[in-house]
Amino acid sequence: MSRDQVRIRLEPLALEIETPVGTQLIKALSGQGIEFPCGGTGTCGGCAVRVLSGSLPVTDPDRTAFLPEQLALGWRLACQARALMPLVLECCQWRMDVLTDDACLIGSGKHGLGIAIDLGTTTIAAQILDLATGKVLGVETELNPQASFGSDVMSRIRATLQGDDLTKMLRVLLGQLVMRLARGREPEVAEVILVGNTVMHHLFSGCDVEPLSHAPFVSPNLGGQTFCPQDLGWHLPSTCKIRFAPCLGGFVGSDILAGILATGIAQSDHLMAMVDLGTNGEIAIGNRFGIVCVSAAAGPAFEAGCIRMGMRAATGAISHVSLCGEEIHADVVGDVEPRGICGSGLVDAIAVGLRTGAILPSGRIANGTKLFPIAHPVVLCQADVRELQLAKGAIASGFKLLLKRLGATAGDLKSIHLAGAFGNYVQIESALRIGLLEAHRERVYAAGNTALRGAKMLLVASRESALPPIEHVSLATDIDFQDEFANCMRFPAADDHSQEAETYNNSKIADTRER
Amino acid sequence: MALSKELFDAILNGDAKRAHAATETALAEGAEPMQLIADSMVPAMDEVGKLFEAEEYFVPELLLAGRAMKSAMELIKPLLVASGQKMAVRVIIGTVKGDLHDIGKNIVASMLEGSGFEVIDLGADVSPEAFVAAVKERQPHIVCMSALLTVTMPAMKTTIDALSKAGVRTQVKVLLGGAPVTSQYAKEIGADGYSENANGAVGLVKSLLAVA
Repeated sequence: MSRDQVRIRLEPLALEIETPVGTQLIKALSGQGIEFPCGGTGTCGGCAVRVLSGSLPVTDPDRTAFLPEQLALGWRLACQARALMPLVLECCQWRMDVLTDDACLIGSGKHGLGIAIDLGTTTIAAQILDLATGKVLGVETELNPQASFGSDVMSRIRATLQGDDLTKMLRVLLGQLVMRLARGREPEVAEVILVGNTVMHHLFSGCDVEPLSHAPFVSPNLGGQTFCPQDLGWHLPSTCKIRFAPCLGGFVGSDILAGILATGIAQSDHLMAMVDLGTNGEIAIGNRFGIVCVSAAAGPAFEAGCIRMGMRAATGAISHVSLCGEEIHADVVGDVEPRGICGSGLVDAIAVGLRTGAILPSGRIANGTKLFPIAHPVVLCQADVRELQLAKGAIASGFKLLLKRLGATAGDLKSIHLAGAFGNYVQIESALRIGLLEAHRERVYAAGNTALRGAKMLLVASRESALPPIEHVSLATDIDFQDEFANCMRFPAADDHSQEAETYNNSKIADTRER
Repeated sequence: MALSKELFDAILNGDAKRAHAATETALAEGAEPMQLIADSMVPAMDEVGKLFEAEEYFVPELLLAGRAMKSAMELIKPLLVASGQKMAVRVIIGTVKGDLHDIGKNIVASMLEGSGFEVIDLGADVSPEAFVAAVKERQPHIVCMSALLTVTMPAMKTTIDALSKAGVRTQVKVLLGGAPVTSQYAKEIGADGYSENANGAVGLVKSLLAVA
């Protein structure tokens, strides 16, 4: 990077841009899909950003647009600011609709109020409920404040090992969130439960993350952790019990434990699967006799993270792609000119490309230009398809190895539950077409935020529910993983026609060489 | 040579069985092992690398081609050992301590082997001491290290420091690879080079040895 450029990272998309020092943010950000509804006059407040790292001075329009507390939290109007130093900004417009959960649970004899928190690497969702009735009384969502250190768990571990205090920032933010949920309510909050992956568990609890930074990734602190409000500096009654649920092993945390409870795998006579698609894809397969689970590093492709024209499902994003006869049809969020493509659109687009033969089962774009046009000006380039192949290869191979471990086949699965935001928005037909999952269409369900639902179940349960043995499988030590991963990177061939096209092209390469 | 073309095609198409059979046939018909490597395998892996650069091939094709090349090498290696012939360049490769990722490292290893270098693969989760011991024992020209996690990258520095401490650092060129690694990081920790991909690694080894 040359000296007169500054780097800006935009959360929650983790998009990085470089711009000359002193550039107005309105110029730097409008190219990235951020909208300035009032044209940058500082009157509408639509371009609000929160400074997560670096600083932006408070301007007069900022004082009009925000409350003093909001200013203190770092909220500014992007249209009034310039990039003078490296910045990490949370973009209000990209603040994804953090998935919460509408399920109502039946209380089981407890009293008082309880709070369930799904502490995600990117997002946080929390609900307060009446323990006696199971009724949800309030919801709060937040972005994980650690995002300023990077979007994946490894970057958080690294920051911690380098001496940054990621525990305190998390406890402070969650303390405020808990306060907002509890404020003005009767009776008092009696219990709080948190679920999250192993790294979130360790960082919240203040456990040493060093063992998670290298093979064999075994930490001695996987168990549940209990706190009282004073330990955390939270303004709750001193009798309130705060618990972080136990991890299952490796990087598979209590969010998956909660998912297992929420989807009912632990009570099922038949084989069921749950796939939570995020930066880390977690998979659990089993029934009431036993469950195996795995964590597969999928990277950010399902969130369109490393895709050239990738963006959040915000205005201008292609969210769905379908075939109308021979023509490609694209749905654009907000019905405007397309500007980019989001995760669900990407999976659709590749499924369509496979159907038309524009993309070959090997992943090659067939037309020789290495570009696959979706809707002008949005195109997929060859590297975009490759990114998705890596992500889907990681999930699909993890899935296959778990089935193999159980001595089962995809046909034995009674149901497959897709958890998390991506699972909610992706078209299941497209996910099957690209080979992300091998399953009958009618057995695949979007399951929503299973981590939060399971956390609520843990909260209202009067005693710990009996679980079958849950075995954590490490992909890295599985000798078949590399072969399976390579196989799973290919897309399934639809029919003989596309296989023919592939063979034809391969022999053409060989021919060219011979000459 | 028709025979080597069969082996060439088998490697290019990632067909391990055909590569094995083609090598058997060629050897039975009196082909020189070294000649087979130079005339068929090296050009085939070179072509595979070019197709990867051109975005025609991707990771699965590289792995398959590597596997085909290995199946041919299994037949050729014992003959080279028996006849006392040695390849001109020896490379030691491994994924650093604490890191179990080996797909990228395996691809680099097979590309290097396919370029006519002798490759000793130490595997994954290789401690600095194991790198030092291998350098002392096998006397390689090149040491390649891979790390795929930001948190295991520091083990690259530890390994380079261990090589220096053991007094063998100057005997070898140290090359780094892996997604989070950058050429700047390579410079910072005193490595001799960095490559973003397997094909680049082959070029890097060649250019380093030309000046060495």
